[in-house]
Amino acid sequence: MSNLKFIIIFLVLSAFTSSPFVLGTHASSQVVAASAVEKAEGVLTSAYEAVLEAEGAGANVSALVARLSEAGDLLAQAQVSYRLGDFDGAARFADLCGEIGEEVKVEALELRDLAVEEAVQRFRWTMIGSILGMAIIVGVSFLGWRAFKRRYHRRVLGVRPEVVSDES
Amino acid sequence: MNLEEYRTVFAVTTLGLILMAAFPTLSLVVPFPRSAERFSELWVLGPNHMAEDYPFNVRVGEEYSVFVGVGNHMGSSSYYVLYVKLRNQTQPLPNATASEPSPLPPLYEFRAFVVDGETWEAPLTFEFLEVSRFENSCLVRRVMINDVVFWVDSSSSWDSENNGFYYQLFFELWLYDVTLRGFRFHNRFVGIWLNVTAS
Repeated sequence: MSNLKFIIIFLVLSAFTSSPFVLGTHASSQVVAASAVEKAEGVLTSAYEAVLEAEGAGANVSALVARLSEAGDLLAQAQVSYRLGDFDGAARFADLCGEIGEEVKVEALELRDLAVEEAVQRFRWTMIGSILGMAIIVGVSFLGWRAFKRRYHRRVLGVRPEVVSDES
Repeated sequence: MNLEEYRTVFAVTTLGLILMAAFPTLSLVVPFPRSAERFSELWVLGPNHMAEDYPFNVRVGEEYSVFVGVGNHMGSSSYYVLYVKLRNQTQPLPNATASEPSPLPPLYEFRAFVVDGETWEAPLTFEFLEVSRFENSCLVRRVMINDVVFWVDSSSSWDSENNGFYYQLFFELWLYDVTLRGFRFHNRFVGIWLNVTAS
């Protein structure tokens, strides 16, 4: 009986360590790693696009770009590990990269909204300043012109004709 | 000057002042074209951070270092990939005229995000781990780049003109294109020649 048990355990262990099983596990870890790397690439590019939007809206993105570089380093390590067949390492680096990428994306979108809000405020105040400035210029110019015209007329009307004697 | 002429001077001056007052608002609405040329820089420096003392005669088991850098003048933050490749004298380099990268697979890679007007730089160490030499050929089996070991299996023939077995370690710059939503070869590459004869 104990021999039979031993044989069954041996057969089960052999089945798990046989090459199709190991190859299957290897293939599945490759698929997991490939999917993790692809996902991390997607997250990183969308985070970068969000940073570009924030930058376009006028936000200072230096800190976010530095964090993107951190994530980029991890993605590069994931890619290299994947090419070398270290699928567990690739998946680990890709996951870390994805985490940073997600954080950066959220922060970038917040920063973009803030920058857009600030830009709208800035535009509003600039427009008010411009309109006020133009109104003052038009008013001052109008009053100045009236004053000038009055003075001009007074000067022209005040001119007396002089009689010049013709002595020749 | 008569009154009509004075009126014209007044009107023109007022119009000029109105335009000046409106300029800050106009500058926020009207996009003014930027005339600056957009480009990226790519460089390799020697171990002393200077454009000299580049590794040339390399030996097996000895570590060599260089610095690679990228400068961004693209008008906005850019996302770069820098591929590190190794080739022998007959394998193709990127084609700058056709904007085509080298078909050789990359060994190592860097990914860098650079703010407009700023630069990025990274150290790169490399070591030839296994090299076999025959009569007129040399086979590089393994190299280590930044502590990562790569199987290369690249052979080189004896260069009788320059007396040596030559390999080139080169760097290709790729740029993320937002409209393509992917990377494209940025038509820039630099490299250093390595003579593995002494190894």
